[in-house]
Order: sequence, then C-alpha cells, then structure tokens
Amino acid sequence: MTWLKLVEGYMPMQMISELAGSILIFALANWALNRAGMGIPKFWAGVGVWIYIQLYLKYRIYPPIPFSVRAIYGTVSACGIFMWVSGSEDAWQEFKRPVMNVMDGISGFHKAVRTVSLIVIPLALGGFAYTSFLPSFEEPIELRTVHPAPPATTKVHGKTFVLQVVENPYRVNNEGKYDQAYTDARIVEQAMGRLMKDVNDPNYNPWDPNAEGYTKYVREGGEIFFQNCHFCHGDNLNGRGLWAYAFNPIPANFTDAGTIAQLQETFVFWRVSKGGIGLPGEGFPWASVMPPWEQHLTVDEIWKVVMFEYWHTGYYPRTWD
Amino acid sequence: MSKSRYARNWARWGVCLSVSVLLGLGLPLSSGAQEDLPEGFKQQGLPSPPPAEQIEAGKRVYFTKCVWCHGVEGAGDGPGAVRLWPRPRNFNAGTFKIRHTASGQLPLIDLDLLQTVTHGLPGSAMPSWEGILTEQQRKDVLAFVTTQLVQDRSWQDEEFEELFVLQLDQLTPKQNTPESIKRGSELVVEKKCIECHGLEGRGDGNAFNLKDDWGFSIQPADWHKCWNFRGSRQDPYNVRNIFRTFSTGLNGTPMPSFADNTSVDERWDIANYVNSLCEREHEIPAPQGTVSDETAQTFSTAPPLPIDPLTDKPKSNFVIPSKFVEGDLPTDENDERWKLIPRRWLAMGGQITHKPRNFVNRIDDMWVQALYNETHIEFMFRWDDRTKSIQEDEVDWDPTEVNLGDYGVEEQAPQGTTFAEDPFHQESIAAKQKDGYAVYNDGVAFQFPVKWQELPAPRKPRYFWGDERFSVDLTKWTADGTLGVYEGTGWDQDLTELDFQEEVEVVKAEWANGRWTVIIKRPIKGDYEEVAYLEAGKYIPMVFFAWDGHNGDVGRKMAVSAFYYLVMEPQIPITTYVYPGLITVGIVIIEGWVLGRRANRRKEKGQA
Repeated sequence: MTWLKLVEGYMPMQMISELAGSILIFALANWALNRAGMGIPKFWAGVGVWIYIQLYLKYRIYPPIPFSVRAIYGTVSACGIFMWVSGSEDAWQEFKRPVMNVMDGISGFHKAVRTVSLIVIPLALGGFAYTSFLPSFEEPIELRTVHPAPPATTKVHGKTFVLQVVENPYRVNNEGKYDQAYTDARIVEQAMGRLMKDVNDPNYNPWDPNAEGYTKYVREGGEIFFQNCHFCHGDNLNGRGLWAYAFNPIPANFTDAGTIAQLQETFVFWRVSKGGIGLPGEGFPWASVMPPWEQHLTVDEIWKVVMFEYWHTGYYPRTWD
Repeated sequence: MSKSRYARNWARWGVCLSVSVLLGLGLPLSSGAQEDLPEGFKQQGLPSPPPAEQIEAGKRVYFTKCVWCHGVEGAGDGPGAVRLWPRPRNFNAGTFKIRHTASGQLPLIDLDLLQTVTHGLPGSAMPSWEGILTEQQRKDVLAFVTTQLVQDRSWQDEEFEELFVLQLDQLTPKQNTPESIKRGSELVVEKKCIECHGLEGRGDGNAFNLKDDWGFSIQPADWHKCWNFRGSRQDPYNVRNIFRTFSTGLNGTPMPSFADNTSVDERWDIANYVNSLCEREHEIPAPQGTVSDETAQTFSTAPPLPIDPLTDKPKSNFVIPSKFVEGDLPTDENDERWKLIPRRWLAMGGQITHKPRNFVNRIDDMWVQALYNETHIEFMFRWDDRTKSIQEDEVDWDPTEVNLGDYGVEEQAPQGTTFAEDPFHQESIAAKQKDGYAVYNDGVAFQFPVKWQELPAPRKPRYFWGDERFSVDLTKWTADGTLGVYEGTGWDQDLTELDFQEEVEVVKAEWANGRWTVIIKRPIKGDYEEVAYLEAGKYIPMVFFAWDGHNGDVGRKMAVSAFYYLVMEPQIPITTYVYPGLITVGIVIIEGWVLGRRANRRKEKGQA
C-alpha cells in the first residue's frame, strides 16, 4: 500500500487533508442517507466521528504522537462535534434522546442497557484510576533546544571567526568573488528527488571532469560528507544514516525545512566545528554524539562540507538581512 | 568475463545433473515445470533495452545520489567506499546478491533491483529510496546502471544470458508448524548450513575465511538478527525472503543456491526454522541448535519483535526495568527469575565522536536484563559476536589509559578516490585477515553518574566517560578476565581505579556459539562520594559500551549506546488500591443521585 504512505516532509499537510477529506465524505454520506430516509441517529454519528478521529491519530501517524497530544486533539474534536449536534434545539433533543431513553428505561432493552452501564461505568473508571496509580516507568520526556543561540565568535584551529561577518570562502563565482546568487543558481532542484539541474553541464554537475570553482568544491565537500557524516545524517542527508537508530538525540534531518534551511551558513559552520560537546546546556551537550569536527577536519574542509549540504538539499543559507 | 561464464556453465551443469538425478529416482516433478529447471523456477525472456531518454534521466539521478558510494564508473569505489563494511556494490561484473533468478544469472531489473533501491539493504549503508525518489526516478536510475555501469554482461545478450525465475508469488509458504521447524533444524545440519552460519545460526562458523568475488572478507548472516538480512525488504519476519535467498543464493558470495539439492517443501522447512531463530521478546533457548518438541512449539507461536519503520530495527525502549527478588541473585542465564522482567534491546552504534573513530562496528546491539535484592544488583548482558577474542600479545598501555593514539591505535584513513588504484584493497578494513592485524579483548562496560541524585535536571555527565564537572563510575569487563571500576572525568582523561572494584563480581562470562553471556553483580550502595549510590523508584542514567577484539576494537574504538535509564521497581504503595476504590464508590453515589433527580422530574411532569 505504497500510495498510503505518509511522505517525509509532507506529513502534516497530508494528515490535515486526509482528515478533512474523510470528514467531508462522512458529511456527504450522512446527508445522502438522510435524504434516502435511512439517516443514522445523531448520537451515534457524533460518537462515531469522534472515535474515527481518535483511531486515525493513534494508528495512522508514525512516529506515534504522545497520549497528551492526542488528548488535546480529542477535546478539540469533541467540542467541534458538540457544536454540530447542539446547533439547534431540535438537533440537541435528537442527539440526547438515546441517552435519556436509557436513563428513563423506557423499554425492557433500555432497562437492561441501564443496568449494565450502571455497573460497567464505575468499574471501568475505577480500573482506569488503578492503572494510572500503579507505579509505571515510561520513558521520561526531555525537551531539548535543537538550534540554540550561537556565540558571537568562535575559535577554530587557532583562528577566530566573527560569525556575523565571516563568509564561506568557497561560495564564489568564476571571478573568485563571494557570490551567493551565483551559487544558489547551481544547487539541486527543489522537487521530488532533489536532483542536480543538468548532468551534462559542468556548471551543475560536480562530477563533471570540467567542473571548476563552486561546483568542484561541492564535490570535495561531498567526498568529506560521504567519508564522515553519512553514518548518522544518511545518504540523503535526512538524518537516517546507518547508526541513527542507536543515538538519542537523533541526527538532524537537513532536508527538513526546519534545519539548515532556516540557519545562516556561519551558524552551521559553528555547529559543525564545535559539535555536540560545544553546545550550550539547553542543547544537551552531554547526550549528543555529534563530533566536534575541528578534531577531524580542517577549516577548509568544514566550509566545503557545509556548502555541500546546502547544494544537496537544494536550500539557500539564510542571510543576515 | 571468464569467471562469470564459468559460473553460468557450472550452474547449468548443476541444474542438468540434479534434474537427471531426480528423474532417475523416479521422483515426480511438479506439473508444468520445465524439464531442465529446478523445482519452482520458470524460464523468462530477456527484457528489452530501456530508451535512451530514460538512461539519460537515470544518469542525472545517479550523479546526484549514488555516485558518492558507487563511484563514477560504478565500480563500488566512490569516496564513501573505504570506510564502509559491507562495501558498496561494484556494478561492473553484473553480480547482484538479492535475486529471484537462478544462481549466477542476472537479476530481474524491474523486480529485484527495483526492490533493492526501494527498500534498501538493511544492515548496510544502502538506504531505502522510497519517498525520496519517485518510482519513475528509481526505474530511470536502474536503466542507467544496468546499461552503462554493468559492463561485463548484458540483459540483451541472447547468446549467454538466460533467466530462470523463482515463481515465489505462486508458491504458498508452508505453515510454520512445530514439525516443520523441527525438520528445518535437522535440515540445516544435513545441508551443512551450520558450517558457515554456526550451530545456533549466529554466523560464527568459518567466520574469518570467507571472501566475496572481489577478495573482501564477508561474514555469514546472523539468523538471530533478521532485520539485518540484506534481502529482508523491510519485512524481516517474512519467511518468503529467506526462502528466496535460500533458493537462488547470493551471487558473488560463498552463499550458494540450494535449489538443486533441496525440494521446495524442504526449503520451506529450513526457511521456517531460520525465521523462528530471529529474536523474539523472550529468549527461546535452542542450545547447540537442538530443537526439542517443546522448543519447536514455542518457536511456532512466539510473535515477532515490533520493528520501527523509521529505522528498520526493533523498537527501542530507553527504560531498563529491574525487579526485586528474594535471596541470592541468579548464578547463570538459565535461572527462572530472569523471566520476571523483559529483556531490553540496546542499540549500539560505532563510536564516531572522537579519534580513533570506529567506522565498522561489528557489535550493533546487545540484550540486557537486571535483577536486584537487598544488597546487590545484577546485570546480564548477551550479545552476538562471531569470534571470541582474547588479547594474546602484551600491550604497552595500562587499562586506565585512554589516549591510545600515542601507541599507534588509529582510525581508518579515508583514502578518497585513490582507492581505485589499489586493486586488492589490502589496507581496507573489510579485507582484514585473521593473522594480519592485532587482536584485542572483547569487552563490555557501563557507566553511572556519581552523585546522580544531585544532578540539576536534565543535566547528565557526558555520555563518553563523564566530564570535568560530573564524573561517572565505569564498570568494565574484558575477555582476559579483568574487571575494573574506574572513575571517568572525560573522553580524553585517563581513568582512575576505584577500590569499589573489589566488591564487584563477574558471576559468569562465557562465549558459546557466537554469543557472549556476561553477568556482573555489584553492590547497590556504593560509597556516595565515589560511586553511584543506587535507589529504587528513580531514573538512573546509564550508557553502555562494547568491544569486539577481532575488529581491532580497543580503547575509544568501540561500540556505544545512547543514554538509557535503569529503574529498580519499588514495592506497590497502599494508595494504589485505596484511591481507585474511593473513586468507584463516589461514581456509584453520583449515578444514584442523577437517576434519582431524573425520576423525580418525570414524576413531577407526570403529576403536572
């Protein structure tokens, strides 16, 4: 069932449209059934939609969302359904009729339902209370700041870099001048697959033997990436490398619009150079296995690999203005 | 290429020979089977060549995504290759492992190769490209690879190529009954599977003498980790995958096809047995590979481990529960009390933060359990390691020294694109020979923060042997019998021996059939100032480390886990029973009140 797969990066939009779509189908079906004179009682329609939303959130979304978040969605959807069933006095009467009928015990069947629910409700709530009072040891949730504020300057291999003014020395046009517009035109396409624009043009293909300047530096950065970084950040830079499963915090996903796409290049330079151990406290430096790359790479290599990450994901570094 | 042609001729001879043997014995061949094919196979025509535009489109995909590992010429020698094991595929000879086609033949492009690109090859660096490349892009890149990079053979070569295709869709898997599993366990001995895969299937037989077609060392699969099977297609507990590998073999490796000397029925039995060995929630012992009726029964009913679709590994849980037991703690792994608690799967990655980094970690997981009594806590570690490694040569450093770079312990150099100039790859990690490099000790270690009670949440001592401000106590066992407890104050700071180590005990340390079992017991209450003072009902952070001596693991070159939490489960307090009781009674009272009011109102209405 490949077509049903939630696609990485598009998941929130997919979820909202799927939910909205199915609610629309329910509404149409309800309208059609009513017209055909086979309408579902409002009570059961309301309860059914609410249960559907809960099941959708629990079983459709992966990785699973925590219970507390589902509880919020549950309350919001219950409010929505309540507004629908209490839109008019008639609708409200119709909605609560099955409940009232059971409470009044208007027939033998309703009496039986009343007796059963009088016993089951206290037992169920008591049981729920018991399980929540049992000492349980769930994984603790610790919230970590993924992009903490960078320092004003950073010292790498004995040289001080002022992050507000420093520029990537390899982001250059063919006159050798820093030129972000020139290099932005040569990154991969921001479409499914994120492919290079033209494989037969040395201006776009880093592997072309005639590639020069920026394009050649991208290849050199890629070589460093695939000798050092892909183990965690993955062959597609999506944070799903060979060992990503073993580490927590999980490696950053560069293809996500929330990581390098919203950061300045110098911020990335600082993060790469100083690694996990160089983070401030809110970034959990004790838990991150991200190497301080100054221990493994030269300054030039770090600049090249940062540039490769932007090239490969098709994102532009954010600028100061 | 003479080699592959030889292989094909051999395969043809094998097919003819086995068919004539079958006919000679008067065994019935299943109806509809072509006479010169093994059971379950059918001949298929060669595919037509892809259009030039598709090859061109595929070239664009290849040079964006694939070239980094597979190289410009597709020789498996991209910049990423040298630090990888298993290595990227060399496409040139047209040798592909995971196929529906008979041994030695080319794979089906739109089935086998497309599935490989779609699902990736778990246990290697080849990721799943589903959701990253569209299906069209995946097909395009295959058009490029199969026409431009496979150079020694061709799918259009009518003279030399044939495709005998395993009809997997039309075969119904045999039910994994206890009888089938038991028969499978006997067949793996009879068919000599255990010679390479080991008595218990942990891949420990003949582990260091096997090579692939390119001379790289290759190791037999560990049947207990089906999620690492290259051909598992992101569906590791599916017996069809095992059946397919077993029926067609893995080209380019010592794994042969068994299509000619086993019946389809026997292959399902073997596949059922191999599948049942893949880890379940609870350990199912089958010592030496002997399967009793009772074990077979357990195998056939135990549900598979839940697999995390984001990582294609078992789902991990970072809490390690430990239960209180009366009396002495277990002395071996067979104690019934280990069943009181779940065993936890520890995911292990290579240590790649500081030099020397471990790019090829052969220990990728461990299982841990913990029990405690009034005075002690006991940890049982079990992990698969194909080789028992004990350091034989004297080393120049102390067990407390950590900066072994001074003694020449180094990480694998990247080598980059110069790799292609070295045809025999003597220096690469994967080509290591048993006698060609130093063997160090296997080992396992875990760390607790000292004075974890005083840590300002969420602060912890750094995962890598603590830091300057918060130290850890590191309990480390190595296969030469050394057990030490050290104070760690940072990744590059030498360790300090603690007197506490006199009180810590190795209850059992045994390597058998490709697996270590190490049981370590330590007092719960260490000296508060120097060693962790453990308390029930608290989350106590732990990190685990492991070394494989035959992989050259020593010092910082090791496998490492994320932070886990030890929780010693306390007794259940009385309030757990009291409050739910009160709540139940309260609800009954509310129910009575609501119904009473409702009845009164109806009565009033009726009177009015």
